[in-house]
Amino acid sequence: MEILAGFGNGLLVALQPENLLYCFVGVFLGTFIGVLPGIGSMAAISMILPLTFYLEPTSALVMIAGVYYGAEYGGSIASILMNIPGTPSSSITCIDGYPMARDGRAGIALFGSAVASFGGGIIGMIVMAVLAPGLAELALNFGPTEYFAVILLGLVAASAVSNGNPIKGITMVVAGLMLGTVGVDITTGAERFTMGIPEMRDGVHLVIVAMGLFGVGELIVSIRANAKGALQNEIDYKKFYPSRAQWKAMFAPILRGSGIGSFFGALPGTGQTVASAVAYAVEKKVSPNRESFGKGAIEGVAVPEAANNSATQTAFIPTLTLGVPGSASMALVIGALMMYGIVPGPRLLVEHSDLFWGLVASFLIGNILLLILNIPLIGLWVRLLKIPYRYMYPTIIVLICIGVYSLNNNVFDVWLTMAFGWAGYLMRLFRFEPAPFLIGFVIGPMMEEQLRRAMLLSRGDATVFLTRPISGALIAITVLLLIYAIASALRARRRAAQATDVSSEIEAPSTSNKG
Amino acid sequence: MKHFLAISAAALVIAAPAVAEPGKWSDEPVRIVVTFPPGGTSDLIARVLAQYFESEYGQKAVVDNRPGAGGTVAADFVAEQAPDGTTLILGNNAPFTIAPTQFEDLPYDPMGDFTHIAYLGASTPALFVQPASGITTIDEYIAQAKGDGITYGSSGVGSITHILGKAVDIELGIEQIHVPYQGSAPAIQDFRAGVLEAYYDMVALNGDLITEGETQPIALAAPERSAAFPEIPTFRELGHDIVIENWTGLSGPSGMDPEMVKTINETVAAIMQLEPVIERLAQFGVEHTPMSAEEFTTFVEGTITTWEPLIKAANVNG
Amino acid sequence: MRAFLLRLRRNEEEARPPHAYLGALGGAGLLALSIVFIVGGYELGVGSPRRLGTGAFPVITGFILAVLSLIVIAADLRNTEDAERPDWISFAAIGAALAVFALTVGRIGLVPGAFLTVITASLPDPSLPILGKLVLAASVSLACWALFIGLIGLPFAPFGGV
Repeated sequence: MEILAGFGNGLLVALQPENLLYCFVGVFLGTFIGVLPGIGSMAAISMILPLTFYLEPTSALVMIAGVYYGAEYGGSIASILMNIPGTPSSSITCIDGYPMARDGRAGIALFGSAVASFGGGIIGMIVMAVLAPGLAELALNFGPTEYFAVILLGLVAASAVSNGNPIKGITMVVAGLMLGTVGVDITTGAERFTMGIPEMRDGVHLVIVAMGLFGVGELIVSIRANAKGALQNEIDYKKFYPSRAQWKAMFAPILRGSGIGSFFGALPGTGQTVASAVAYAVEKKVSPNRESFGKGAIEGVAVPEAANNSATQTAFIPTLTLGVPGSASMALVIGALMMYGIVPGPRLLVEHSDLFWGLVASFLIGNILLLILNIPLIGLWVRLLKIPYRYMYPTIIVLICIGVYSLNNNVFDVWLTMAFGWAGYLMRLFRFEPAPFLIGFVIGPMMEEQLRRAMLLSRGDATVFLTRPISGALIAITVLLLIYAIASALRARRRAAQATDVSSEIEAPSTSNKG
Repeated sequence: MKHFLAISAAALVIAAPAVAEPGKWSDEPVRIVVTFPPGGTSDLIARVLAQYFESEYGQKAVVDNRPGAGGTVAADFVAEQAPDGTTLILGNNAPFTIAPTQFEDLPYDPMGDFTHIAYLGASTPALFVQPASGITTIDEYIAQAKGDGITYGSSGVGSITHILGKAVDIELGIEQIHVPYQGSAPAIQDFRAGVLEAYYDMVALNGDLITEGETQPIALAAPERSAAFPEIPTFRELGHDIVIENWTGLSGPSGMDPEMVKTINETVAAIMQLEPVIERLAQFGVEHTPMSAEEFTTFVEGTITTWEPLIKAANVNG
Repeated sequence: MRAFLLRLRRNEEEARPPHAYLGALGGAGLLALSIVFIVGGYELGVGSPRRLGTGAFPVITGFILAVLSLIVIAADLRNTEDAERPDWISFAAIGAALAVFALTVGRIGLVPGAFLTVITASLPDPSLPILGKLVLAASVSLACWALFIGLIGLPFAPFGGV
């Protein structure tokens, strides 16, 4: 009841013409900035931050939030159309979105992504409204031991995010974990594999890895394919409304994705990339349509988008109620609040309940605006594909350059993007996939940090992972998942061996799906 | 050579008659380089400055965030710019006090390559422990550390709170177990989850937790008690000479015109007297003390020498 | 220039597709990388269980990666499919485009930098005549000026050095 009263109150705040306007401006700007490769929510928020200094705190927060989830949504547009994740978290959307676009179904993919984002956003909002105080308490029970256990679980789930050879997928995850150690070791301050370059001390920025491996690597592949006209095949520009069957197919994945996304979003630090990766991996296990994942399944677009957007909403829970930013973008939100003398923390819900509920209600309105804004634009976006590739790809390269350069205003980042772009092309040539690598790269530093901290605090006793209840339960689930994965892989192998001729008994080609 | 220039510039500043007044010093927009990404305290202070430079004195100013490698990327960039007053850095202990001792291959000289212009202020860290532990005095803390040991969280290796932890180790003759975090927020989260026994953090950012009884302050690393938290004793009055402050100031490349330096210093000093500015800085726990450019230069140099043994003790490079 | 590119392309078309052993090269590259991290990790120190050293995580992940890359190499060597034919021209041109941007943006400004980047990137595409390349480059660089400096307000200089 209290929640309903609070929400009603918030709705009144959010529906004030002024706040409505700022919400719209935020969502609009966010979408357009998010579409640009490499310029994600963080850059978008820092751009509008100075503008918000002249607004009321609630208006400012509503606008910043609008930019934030607008950019997260915009990121998926570039992923689907060009296989370039506008934001790192939308790299999972590439896996099925881009094959759909190549199939001439870009419109349906964009529509599905808009609907899934909306669904995820709304569910995330409900979770935030109902569970914010409870979830904040839960996050307070998460020490390093529990974090390590949940990260391990996410990692095992993420190893399944691969279309091709599962061994190659796991190999890429581990390679990501390993390369994630480049930079200053945050536990001792020693430099690791930086080759004495000061810019490498903070490690390689996630956006650079995503832009290089996905964006630049994909461009190199597409130039020749497009010169031959392979991709310009019959795109149905008018048809982007999903069929009844597709609606039905998306419904359950959106619910599952939002649930997983809400959970990971509420844990500070894990963020949207992990949320969408885990949601995709889970869906790939449970979906009745799992065979077509990676080849352009609408579910494969809906799940990561729903997870991503619900995580985007619930990421505000630890930020506002604990003062712990889950990501760099959330750190900016805290900065903006501090500017108004509002200290995020347990008392924010009580002392600034107008602001909290106004924000929650603005999520509802913002997501509706996002949908209204984007459905008519789908036709426009799809028409972008009509532009001949010879005009498109040099333009995209410049956009990638500017996006990467704007991270730190440092050209060193552009050089790194070149290196990762080449690596991305070679990976494709050798049939490795970039998505599992990126997930390992995101998770690695967190995993190491929590592992070492947990060992330090337990004074070298590794059994804490099993004796603390939450982490013990998580480890048990992880072990069960591993046993299940190995067992089903062995079963599939035996079946494949029986089915095929003995003479051609080789490692199944990359189209197999044993995950 | 650069050294010589800086010294002669400083000499000129002393010799110059006090004709400078607060005002505009460049027709070009001034770039204030910040060593952190947007949104942090440092960034917000730079934005306040930029705003008042323009609204009070018509001096256009923009904030340019160049984060990376503990502020050394930004400092290196500024050291190489023309000393015409259009590029300034919002400096702090990371690139100017800590980095010179921490990194052997620092590409700049914190004194010779810069003109240190104006001191803005400092915030101070304090030692906090679990209220449930029953520890309320420094002597009880020492006893606990010598007994079962104490784990404390800092905002990172080589950060000011880590250095304070080391200073406490040395001065009190104890050995606390250091657990580094990335910033103080996650450390406080673990503290509240009960996995950490103590932490060091800026006192101003812990006001809510103190009033709610979620954390127990033990001692403050300031020279004097804080106006906002008069009940917290300082290390110094408890008989332990530990003063560690998180200072912020404005600097430019070496060889700036002394007249201009004086103008900027006066302009900053005037802005620092404005009521809304004082209020805003108080939110970040930053207290301003007026300093001339020469005093500020001596201050920066002083921090490098006094902190050197502590930074070495923190063994931040391995 | 155009004739030369077309000839290069044709030569590439006619070239025999590389053998699938190419696949094993990727595994070998990862193996080499994992050895670098294992050796480097040991040098940094692996520490003790209580205080895991700076090198512990690189060594652990390095060993796992080494084992996995051996499996990958073995599997790829048995793979008899034809691998994709590499497109080294585009590979070089795109890399060069990024290099051009890195070299120019801080020295001569965003607009000329973007112009040269577009020209470099479009070099390997014979379907766009040189005039088309110039027009494309001019419009992209001017649009970037308007969008990124004018509208979004990134702190880049449109012309000249930083």
